[in-house]
Order: sequence, then C-alpha cells, then structure tokens
Amino acid sequence: MPTWDPGHQAMLEVTDLSVGYRGADVVHRVSFEVRAGETVALIGSNGAGKTTTLRALCGLLMPSSGRVRFAGQDVTGTATHRLSRRGMAYVPAERHLFPGMTVEENLVLGAYPDRADPARQESVFELFPTLRARRAQLAGTMSGGEQQMLAVARALMSAPRLLMLDEPTTGLAPVLAEAAYDALDRLSAEGMTILVSEQQVPLALRVADRGYVLEEGHIRLEGDATSLEHNPDVRRAYLGIG
Amino acid sequence: MLAVFFDGIVGGLQLGVLAVGLSLLYGLGGVLNLAHGALAVSAAIVASLAMDAGWPAVPAAVVGVLVAAAIGLGLDQTIMRPVYRLRGESRVLLSLLLTLGAAFAIDGLLGWRYPFGGLSLRIGGGPVTILGVRMRSGSLLASAIAITAIGALTWLLRRTRTGRAVRSVIQDEVGAQLVGINPGRVRTLIFTLSAALAGLVAITQSMTAPVSVSSGFSLTILALIVTVVGGLGSAPGALLAGLLLGIVNALSSFYIGTYITAIILLAAAALTILVRPAGLLGRAD
Repeated sequence: MPTWDPGHQAMLEVTDLSVGYRGADVVHRVSFEVRAGETVALIGSNGAGKTTTLRALCGLLMPSSGRVRFAGQDVTGTATHRLSRRGMAYVPAERHLFPGMTVEENLVLGAYPDRADPARQESVFELFPTLRARRAQLAGTMSGGEQQMLAVARALMSAPRLLMLDEPTTGLAPVLAEAAYDALDRLSAEGMTILVSEQQVPLALRVADRGYVLEEGHIRLEGDATSLEHNPDVRRAYLGIG
Repeated sequence: MLAVFFDGIVGGLQLGVLAVGLSLLYGLGGVLNLAHGALAVSAAIVASLAMDAGWPAVPAAVVGVLVAAAIGLGLDQTIMRPVYRLRGESRVLLSLLLTLGAAFAIDGLLGWRYPFGGLSLRIGGGPVTILGVRMRSGSLLASAIAITAIGALTWLLRRTRTGRAVRSVIQDEVGAQLVGINPGRVRTLIFTLSAALAGLVAITQSMTAPVSVSSGFSLTILALIVTVVGGLGSAPGALLAGLLLGIVNALSSFYIGTYITAIILLAAAALTILVRPAGLLGRAD
C-alpha cells in the first residue's frame, strides 16, 4: 500500500474527468481537488453537471475518461459500496433513505458493515437533536427537512474521510436550508473534509473554503470563497446582483 | 369442515415457504425465477436417490436441500449475471426466459435419467387428535418444519445485520450501495436461500403426498400465484398469501373438486390484483 500523507496530498483529486449518459458526455474534462480538512463548494445552475460529476466520483456512474484519486489511491471506476467502505460518503439530493425502516435502523445501516458505534450515534444526535426524538419513526413518514438530516446523519455513521453532498437544500424551506448549512459549518469546524454541490450559491460560499464554478460541464472559475463571492460574473449569475 | 381447514393450513404454510424466496428475489432485483419448482424437484430426487442407496431419511433430505441450494447458487453465478446487467423491463424479461430455459434443462435431465423418480416420505407414528380433528403425523411434522423455517427466516431478516442489508436493498438499492452494501452479494445469498427453501418444501410435501419428477412446473406456478397475491417483494405478504391460498385450495378441493382448484386459485390471484394491485402486503408505489 502506498504511503499517504494527508498534509501534502489531496483527499480527493479529480483529473480530466469526462462523464455522461449513454455515451454522450455531460461533464467535460473537469479537474479539481479537495484537500484534507477543507470544505469545497461545486457551484453551478441546474443542468451544469454537478450531480453527474458527484455520481461519477462515488461510483454510481462510470467516467468515460479521466482519473479520480481518493485518499492517495486511484479509485476510478470503483464500485460504490467499496468506496463507501473506504470512507467516501455521498448524500444524494434524492437522499435514498430506507423509507420502511426507522430512523435508528437507517443509522445502524449507515455504519455497515461495522456495528454502529454508540459514541458516533450520540454525536450525530447532538448535531441533529430532532433525530433523537424521532429515532423510532419510519424514515418515509418524516418531513423533507428531517429526511435531509437523516441522510447526512446516516452518512456520518460510517465516520467518513470525505463527505460529499449533492444540493443538500433541495426541496427545503429557506429556514431549513440555513439549518442544513449550519450543520455543515459545525462539521467543517470539527475538521470534516466536505465537498458540496449547490445552486444556492450564497449559502455554499458562506461555509466553503474554496469553490469551483461549473457551467455546461466545464469548470469556468475557481478560487477561495471570498474571491468568488466578489467576482462580478459570479455575482451577476448566482447572487442576483448586477 | 375443521379438518379441511386444518389441511389448508398445513398446505398453506408450505406454500408460504415455497413462495417467500421468489418474492424476496423479485424485491431485490426485479427478477422472477421460473426454475423454482425444478430446484424443489431436484431436492426431492436427490433425497430419494440417497435413500435408495440406503441413507436414512434425515441426512438424505439434508443433502437434497443442499443440492438444490448449490444449483441455485450455480444459476445465480451463471445465467443471472447477464440478467442483472440489464435494467427495467428487459431485465425481468430476460430473467423469465433464462430461468425458463434452466427449468426445461433441469426437468428434462431429471425426466430422462429418472423417469419414474419421486419422493414420498412415510412418517411413522399414528394420527394425533387436535381440537377433535385427527391429523396425520406427516402433516404435523411438515407444518413444524415449515413453521421453523418461517421463524428462522423472520429472525434472519429482522434481527441480523445480513437481514437488514437484504431489506435495505429491497427498499432502496442506491441507498444500500451508498452505505457499503454490495447488492450483487445480497442477491446471490437470497437466490441460494430461495433454492434451499424450495428444496425444503419438496421434502415436506413428500410427507403427505408424493413429489414426482414432473411436479416442477406446478410448484413454480403455485409459487408465482402466492407471490403475486402476497405482493412482490414482501416476505410477510408471501407467508400470509400462502396461508390464505392454502385454505382456499383445501376448501375448494374438498367441496368443489381438485380439477377446478387451479382455476379458483388463479381467480383469487386475479381478484387480489384487481382490488389491491400491489398485492396483500406489497408497497403501492
């Protein structure tokens, strides 16, 4: 096994990644990286290729070319369940919870194949106190905001090295969207490495250290969060400021 | 009346065990296994061959069930591979075609090699009286084995990590992959288990009526009817539907006639689909 020094190498390193559906690429030769402990935002409008990119990273889509390195190893084309066991957690916008199982069962499965660690579960409940109150409720009967919390909580149960979230605010009222990012802020402060895709750009840039702007499957801009926030193109396109 | 009803329960428990694997398999991968009855018959023939060779009944039955499981595992690793590469409608269609082919192959091979093959286990001991009804000891043993199998399966699905993984793939396959579960391995496990349960039912059925080399297709069709009535993908549904249809089967065989029972069972299945398209306990989505 190659040695891997988190101080010098990226947790996630994407090189010239092209990916799409049925042979037609939607994402074209994108390159970016997420360093250990960093929070990175992938911003762009609907259809820019954010979801496609993330699905390729976590093994749900096969890239047509390019390379993905995770924690020092080439993982291009590795199956989703293997990446999950290696510490890559993905929270899709559609959440993909187990609707007929309780909150607690969903969390226990989050730790699969390991036994759920009680201390880990406790810290997840501290982050999302609502879930503790609803631990015996069926996931499918919860509100959208609660389901989003559960999806993040389930991902955290495996103590991931990288947490990837696809538009965590999908379908959430503004107050709940804020709450979702407050939780990410706390995780980030605790040292979690996060990659989040978002079209609600102000929210994402508030939490992120750096960001990449994805347009029509190409990375158009990159930089630290503050510089992106002040970039005139970003302000015009995503912040509604002319 | 009560005696017929009891007979229905005895048959129904076995129908449930016969169908539950088929139903789980559909829930896991959207596939149907038309070789289900052929796998059951393989267990019966292997057990009868072992007994002809002088083996006692219990190890002969165990070997029969194990052989059915092994054939199931073999099918999963060969003909089911290309099936799982497909999505949607073409997946279920290819599964129907390939497992039907496997059923013909197994039935043909057994029919050719053992044209008069069959299993009929005679269980010693006189009839036992329950609530005033005299029950054959073979029926009671068959029921006890079926109940034990149902109990073990329920425990596996409800209480173990593996069982939770099985249910998670049925509920959301992508979600299952995201938490680190390999759906392919879960499907292999359930295909093998389903074949073992089919084999077990052939053994228990032979305690009350002979299972012959030509019983395969009727077992498959019974299992399919029960699976549809119970709700594809629902284990409790398959068990409940098995029990209900077993009782319907016994009542109609006794009061109307065996020749028309198959039609009544199909009518019951059709009626269920008209009233509850997802089956008794299937998810309506």
